[in-house]
Amino acid sequence: MTKEVSSFIESFDRLGYVVDEELATILFLMTSLQKPLLLEGHPGVGKTEVANILAAHLDTELIRLQCYEGLDVHSAVYEWNYQKQLLSIKIQESNQKTETEKEKHIFGVDFLMPRPLLKAISGSSKSPVLLIDEIDRADEEFEAFLLELLSAYQISIPEFGTIKAAHRPFVILTSNRTRELSDALRRRCLYHWVDYPDLDKELKIVHKHLPDIDQKLAEQIVRTINVLRNKNLEKSPGISETLDWAMSLHALGKKKLDVESFALTQGSVLKSFSDNQKINSEGVSTILEEANG
Amino acid sequence: MNANYQSYETVTQSILGFAAYAREHELQVGVREAQEALTIASLGLMGDKEIFRYALKSVFCSCAENANLFDQLFADYWGLPKASVTSRITMKNQLNAQKQMQRSVVLLGKGENKEGKEEEAKNVSGANAAEQLRKTDFSKLSEMDSEYLEKLATDLWKQMSKRLKKKLKNSTTKGRIDLRQTIRNNIGSGGAMLELKRKYKKPSKNRLIILLDVSGSMDKYSFFLLRFILALRTHFKRIDAYIFSTTLIRITDILHIRELESVLRVLSQHADNWSSGTKIGACLKHFNQQFAKRALSGKNMTIVLSDGLDTGEPEVLATELHKIKLRTRRLIWLNPLKGMPGYQPRTRGMMAALPEIDHFMPAHNVESLLQLETFLSNV
Repeated sequence: MTKEVSSFIESFDRLGYVVDEELATILFLMTSLQKPLLLEGHPGVGKTEVANILAAHLDTELIRLQCYEGLDVHSAVYEWNYQKQLLSIKIQESNQKTETEKEKHIFGVDFLMPRPLLKAISGSSKSPVLLIDEIDRADEEFEAFLLELLSAYQISIPEFGTIKAAHRPFVILTSNRTRELSDALRRRCLYHWVDYPDLDKELKIVHKHLPDIDQKLAEQIVRTINVLRNKNLEKSPGISETLDWAMSLHALGKKKLDVESFALTQGSVLKSFSDNQKINSEGVSTILEEANG
Repeated sequence: MNANYQSYETVTQSILGFAAYAREHELQVGVREAQEALTIASLGLMGDKEIFRYALKSVFCSCAENANLFDQLFADYWGLPKASVTSRITMKNQLNAQKQMQRSVVLLGKGENKEGKEEEAKNVSGANAAEQLRKTDFSKLSEMDSEYLEKLATDLWKQMSKRLKKKLKNSTTKGRIDLRQTIRNNIGSGGAMLELKRKYKKPSKNRLIILLDVSGSMDKYSFFLLRFILALRTHFKRIDAYIFSTTLIRITDILHIRELESVLRVLSQHADNWSSGTKIGACLKHFNQQFAKRALSGKNMTIVLSDGLDTGEPEVLATELHKIKLRTRRLIWLNPLKGMPGYQPRTRGMMAALPEIDHFMPAHNVESLLQLETFLSNV
């Protein structure tokens, strides 16, 4: 294995994140090519966590932008502090400055409220990690705006001028595929599909988060989750559900996953009415058997 | 084009060769990607073959669907020269894939009567093929055209859904004035209220209920109509969809799967329902008994997609349809047969249904489905 990649894996391991060789390679590539990384995958497989750990690994700030339908430039890039501007105009009414000087003053840095994207670009000391979470939820217009940002790393503010990044941020975009992203955006990014982890990896993750959990219990949980994922549920359980479940069972002092403890902790895994119904009608015991057999 | 790295002399050449090879196989690899591949090599990631593959994959693949193709190409190109074995495997895979495709195609009744269709297909090649295709009856498509039409149709329907969404957003200009927002927005003009901001109640989204006939007589259309439903699904969050032939199945839960192929796979588990006879009346009765109470509450619009060729009692159809009519704001019946020149609704089923229907429209080609827009914009 290449030296750089294995050092990534080790460092991530120390920070409590189990990363496989493929993702480690891509993260290394991302930091050396300075290209954004697009992570796609099912909900709850730890896409967002990658950004958190990367920031910790690089010892830099994490700036997060949560996308939603109707997200616009004002809440993503910048906004003027109107109240402050108004007050300032009032205060300056009596002094002798010329109109242009006054105008320049109220459209100065003091009155600019940076939002995540501007913050990510104007960092002065070190490249931050910029997480653009669930980009598929934002509108296409916003996606188009991002294209400009991600290729030039600069933002123009009409009253103020252009701000160019002194330190390029490391950008991670995540998507749940509720909408197909444009080819243009895809081509500007490295791409990685985050899949559900295999049994070994998931077991490792559980142990990482709950070091004193019973080995057998952990194995049972991971196997059962795997069975549930193949059941075509409305909301398939992700890694976070596995961890929640392990934590609940652990907190209840259970040593074994049986029908009774399943019923007690069902809520941390099955998160919709129809899923609960489906599993109950299929029979919890058959599912546990399937997992252990 | 050389399909193996050993036919090149230098590392740079073989990497560029791979980029060209990948491009030839329809991965989106441009100059920039090729350059990045070279950078990857210069970063020393070529030492480990797996790592090299991971790295190139992240650059060459821009979506999950391409991953398998890439792995295959990578193995072919950078593997030992016994590439013929792997390529045979690819061939086999392709054959399998084709077979599977055909199976689902047969399931949906697209794959029969090839010769007849090819003749029809000649009409639609040429400069304005796209324009022509929009007007071509779904049942008269050749295999090749149908692939192209699928793409075209999905695009058009998506655009339509998007337009509809816009309409919903901007249509309301009434409402009371929101002083706070108005002041905030007019600071730029020195406090003069040039532009008034208003606050209005969000227009409540209405529900769209779709009943799709998948019986044998609808075979040639149901595939495209299902696509249409999927396209609507991307922008209408409150769609409630059902398929019926001799029995009725609610497919709303299945529709949240994005890919059509997966939807078809799930639907094929209910395969006995496809391509069988039609009992529209009985199915609507089932719908009324089990689902209507919930589905038809509040504001809604109901669309029935069927050719009206019913083997059940027409009276049942009429009464059940009437029940739906009472609870829905608008009842639209889309009939693919209506696109045929000289079609008259003379079948017993259709005759019984007509008095209850608000709008009776054709649904035989892309164009006719696009005409639905006017109705959908009111939903």
